[in-house]
Amino acid sequence: MPDEPVQGKGKEGMDSTQWHEVKKGDTLSKIAEKYYGDPGLYTTIFEANRDRLKDPNLIRIGQKLRIP
Amino acid sequence: MHLKKILSFAVAALFALSLGACSSAKGPAEQALKSAEDALNAGKADAMKYIPEKVKSAEDALKTAKDAFAKGDYPAATAAAADVTAKVKDFGAAVAAKKTELTKAWEGQSQLLPNMIASIKSRVDVLTKSRKLPANLDKEKFEGAKNGLAEIEKAWGEASSAFKEGGLADALAKAKSVKAKAVEIMTTLGMQVPEAAKG
Repeated sequence: MPDEPVQGKGKEGMDSTQWHEVKKGDTLSKIAEKYYGDPGLYTTIFEANRDRLKDPNLIRIGQKLRIP
Repeated sequence: MHLKKILSFAVAALFALSLGACSSAKGPAEQALKSAEDALNAGKADAMKYIPEKVKSAEDALKTAKDAFAKGDYPAATAAAADVTAKVKDFGAAVAAKKTELTKAWEGQSQLLPNMIASIKSRVDVLTKSRKLPANLDKEKFEGAKNGLAEIEKAWGEASSAFKEGGLADALAKAKSVKAKAVEIMTTLGMQVPEAAKG
């Protein structure tokens, strides 16, 4: 099970990794559009989360995804 | 008449004694002043970088000593010079304590800032490939963020060099401005600012 991060926190709040918590109705394309303006960049998010995603179409509510 | 002579003699003797006392106090006062000034000059350069307020206090005490000496108040001059010497003796411990404090602060910044810069760079790289920018980010703001990234990368390099060269206070001042700019860029790009960078 990969780590389940808290947004913007980490060792003494030093971690600046960007996270997105999956909400109802989210898809990787929608998340990519939100952060990058381009749904086609969903593969960037998928690749950054290969340790926790097997399939870009299978994300679950509450899951925390790294956003490069 | 006889009494008058005795009194005159006594007054003259007292005057001579006081002159003698004065001149005997002058030498040690002069020596104490010189020692204090030498000690201050020797310890001043390094101390100024870390504890300028303590150096200022010692310089003020030296001025007090010199003023007293100029007025002929040698015991006061000697006491003030001793105060200078005591203050200078404290420089070593105070500088060491300040260096420890600054090094600790630097360690925090050196964990936080490279992470922030890497995250910004990662986001800028992705956005550069994007066919359209996200809401609340126009082309002008994005260009500003890219330029800002180049600035903080350069400034962080300078801060790191200053630290390696022993310029702790300078390194931390540079790190502080890098942090402020990094927070500004992250906010512009709609990124989450790390807790340690807030406030």
